[in-house]
Amino acid sequence: MHRRSTLATAGLYAALTLIALAMLVPLGWMVLTSLKTQPEILRSPPAWLPASPQWVNYRTVWEGFAYYRFFLNSLFVATMVIVGTLLTCCPAAYAFAFYDVRHKNLLFGALLSTVMLPAQVTVIPLFKGFAALGWVNTYLPLIVPVWLGGNVFGIFLLRQFFRTLSPSLLEAARLDGASEWEILWRLVVPMSLPAVLTVVVFTFVWSWNDLFNPLIYLQNEELCTLPVGLLYFIARAEQLTGGSTGQIPWHLVMTLATVMTLPVIVIFAIVQRRFVEGVAASGVKG
Amino acid sequence: MRAGRAKHVWFWAFVGPAVAGLLCFSVWPMLYSLWLSFCHYEVVAPPRFIGLRNYVYLFRHDAAFWPSVRVTLVFTAIQVPLSILASLALALLLHQPVRARGWWRAVYFLPSILPQAALAVVFGYIFQADGGLLNRVLGLAGFAGQAWSSSPTWALVVLIVMSLWGFGYPMVIFLAGLQNVPRELYEAAHIDGAGAWARFRHVTLPLISPVLFFNVVMGVIAALKVFDIAYAFGMAQGQPIPGGPARATLFYGLNLYQQAFGYFHMGLASAMAWLLFGFILLLTAVNFRLSRRWVHYAD
Amino acid sequence: MRRRPELWSYLAFALVAGAGFWWAGRSREPRPVHGRTVITWYSVITPLRDHYEAQAKAFERAHPDIEVRILWVPDSEYNVRLKTLAAARQLPDIFLSGDVWISYLLPLTMDVTAYVRRDAAEFGLDDFFPQIRTAMQHEGRYYIMPEYMNLSLLYYNRRMFAEAGLPEPAGRWTWSDLVANGKQLTHAGTNGRPDVWGCSRVENWWGEWLIYVRQAGGKVFTEDGRRCLLGSPEAIAGLRFYEEKSSRHHFSAPAGFEPRNGFVNERVAMIVGGHVNYWLNYNQMPGLDWDVQLLPAGPHSRRGGELAMAGYSIARTCRHPEEAWALMKFLTRPEAVAEIVARGSLAVRQSVAAANIRGPRRHERPRNLGAAYAQFEFGEPIPRHPHFIEIMLQIVQPEIDRMVLGQLTPEEAGRRAEAAANAFLATFDPADS
Repeated sequence: MHRRSTLATAGLYAALTLIALAMLVPLGWMVLTSLKTQPEILRSPPAWLPASPQWVNYRTVWEGFAYYRFFLNSLFVATMVIVGTLLTCCPAAYAFAFYDVRHKNLLFGALLSTVMLPAQVTVIPLFKGFAALGWVNTYLPLIVPVWLGGNVFGIFLLRQFFRTLSPSLLEAARLDGASEWEILWRLVVPMSLPAVLTVVVFTFVWSWNDLFNPLIYLQNEELCTLPVGLLYFIARAEQLTGGSTGQIPWHLVMTLATVMTLPVIVIFAIVQRRFVEGVAASGVKG
Repeated sequence: MRAGRAKHVWFWAFVGPAVAGLLCFSVWPMLYSLWLSFCHYEVVAPPRFIGLRNYVYLFRHDAAFWPSVRVTLVFTAIQVPLSILASLALALLLHQPVRARGWWRAVYFLPSILPQAALAVVFGYIFQADGGLLNRVLGLAGFAGQAWSSSPTWALVVLIVMSLWGFGYPMVIFLAGLQNVPRELYEAAHIDGAGAWARFRHVTLPLISPVLFFNVVMGVIAALKVFDIAYAFGMAQGQPIPGGPARATLFYGLNLYQQAFGYFHMGLASAMAWLLFGFILLLTAVNFRLSRRWVHYAD
Repeated sequence: MRRRPELWSYLAFALVAGAGFWWAGRSREPRPVHGRTVITWYSVITPLRDHYEAQAKAFERAHPDIEVRILWVPDSEYNVRLKTLAAARQLPDIFLSGDVWISYLLPLTMDVTAYVRRDAAEFGLDDFFPQIRTAMQHEGRYYIMPEYMNLSLLYYNRRMFAEAGLPEPAGRWTWSDLVANGKQLTHAGTNGRPDVWGCSRVENWWGEWLIYVRQAGGKVFTEDGRRCLLGSPEAIAGLRFYEEKSSRHHFSAPAGFEPRNGFVNERVAMIVGGHVNYWLNYNQMPGLDWDVQLLPAGPHSRRGGELAMAGYSIARTCRHPEEAWALMKFLTRPEAVAEIVARGSLAVRQSVAAANIRGPRRHERPRNLGAAYAQFEFGEPIPRHPHFIEIMLQIVQPEIDRMVLGQLTPEEAGRRAEAAANAFLATFDPADS
């Protein structure tokens, strides 16, 4: 072991702090802007700091623009997607981890390779198909694919984790007369909670942030999820205040952006250690 | 024997939904869009076979195709190396004995999981020419501001910066890779008198080459598929159609979306999708081939 | 013994999941309540939203057997989403339409000639301005019921003109008057660079440059719509004027430096073109003393300002055309048109326009309403071409953007735009869609 000079240590922490600031400044500016008044925004140049924090903006956005609806829509879709992911990914991962069946690896490879398949390739036929089923303007196109194992990454991550469990445990349970279904849900899944949690958070983030699919399938304003709702709001706000020569009420836009990012930040803050380790595992073992 | 058959049954019962999903939502749409790419299909009327005309139009006549290819390639060529370098450098920093490593790691990772649409809107506001945060800070420092999002060069730079802001994924993966490097190897190298660079070059780099490879492959695929940030950025700029100015942010994925869902040239868009898919496959194959020369797998 | 609770939990889960799927897949298609007919109405989000909601309520009171549902969509998404709904076979019954959009939306639009002829006396077909009556039609058939219109005008800030000691713009202005006055109205800020501009310049859109192209004698398309003509010397002259407002005469901001909210914040003294939809906002700004005038004349013509009519159309797939038609008549009746005009807009009905010019009016500005209606004589609709919007935004505009940025000369921009548009037209035949 060698000791580093104090100078090097100071430099290290200075660099770390600077980069952390760069990471956080946009978020800080977003929150600050969300607390300003309209005149503070419209002034040229706008005010640096709000004279007094306008928490009322949050209420305006929430009630006045019925933003809670977008919020609830997002929450609903995310919940359904998470449930579907767990329900199909856990068994599939279990099967790929523990069963020895011919062509298993080929099948697994085929599933994994869809990660490379750009959404743009499948979106047109899928849109055509969903339209024919009358599913445009419902949440089904966002949910049904996930209930059919659409979350390949989840399968992959869970399989990686399941494989670290000892097969002898499973054999012991089998001798006790437990069925495969029971072993999966009562033994393997409870023992793999960190991995399951990672998958849940991943799925939540992915569903919560998704812009592409809701943009295509949710055409009614009342059905919108948050990302589309935010863009709707900008368009609407611009209309409210007069198009390209008008004024985008940036303080309200930033309020929405904050409302949208906050749940992700909170969830991340709670589970960050496990989650980041899960991400790391996905790359290192892959 | 019976146990063996039961296992088969369980296997197929467990992977059944995923296989059905694979067939319904990947294989079938993939083949169908291949067929559509040879058709004139504008939704109003059923698809009509026209051979290679979509491809010919894209390559020879379409005013937007090559610019969007260029934007995407330039973005990929700059963003992927920068993001790899930045995330590797940061991972190395964090690999030092640092207090509260988990906390730093979390802060750096956070932006990667935030909604891209919201980020694009926030960045659009910060980079405004008239009264934006960046220009004002530059003004305080005595520099002239730029019309960042209205200049074709700068608009792409802004999007690159924005996407770099999300280097958390590769960083965390690098960090995990670094932690798998046995400490004894460093100490051995240190005793041999190897300097910091030599230790990095001859010990660290070969040992983390698999994660480096993984990050490069995933980074390239993600860069080629960019859509969210470009779309949201354009919307936040009040562009009548995102992708401006002068197609400077018309990413391939965005161009494809507009052809398909803006103007309903579904056949044309399918051809674009297959060109993208083919390119990704080709690039990944090349990557794997090249990787034999420089990636060292431990076992 | 062990199985029972498990069974219950499976059942409970299935129930919850089933409810979730029911909610997810629940049709948002309006369902008739108590035998009422539901008419869906697709509208852009506008500052007049409250007015339209009130109109819908009033209509329901007048027709108790009909229920009106409004679907709101942002302006920029409007066409795209309407076509998406058409592709999904979920078209609304009536939708916002207008002569800019009609040729693009024609495949979705119902021919209402029979209704127009039947009820002409009742709703007052002759009350609409003659140009509007033409704009309602496509190849001799009626498709649109008009609600309001926009005419390109010269907007100016009276206070800024007075402070510069300049007389207000006159109706006989030409481009050179615009340049001369614009230069005098441009002022440097603290850093030596102009902070206040004589005239705005609309970017990213054809709104302003198309006026100059047409006033210089240029055209977008040939009569049959099969060739683009933006590379002609006349069109290029128009593009050059648009470009030189900033690069040579320096009375408009360079690309990207257009002040945010410039006209409202009094950092821009004039607007060429503009839109009546902003009148409402201008009038909400306390102290903003603005007015309008005829557009300055170009070297070839005084004509060329845009005349755009907005109104309603019925979807071809509508199952209750009689009820939809009743709603369209209701939305375009004199009282409704008068209400929109009172908030700030130009009337499509001659009776409303006349009453509006005579006064009294809700808003004092613009004072020079006479000039606004006089512009009628010089207004021209944009070309009726199914691909007009796509060609202008997707193919032509990027070349104009590059010209504004100084990367292309007006000649190059015009020629490149023409070549690219012609390549598109050769492949996507207008007759094909």
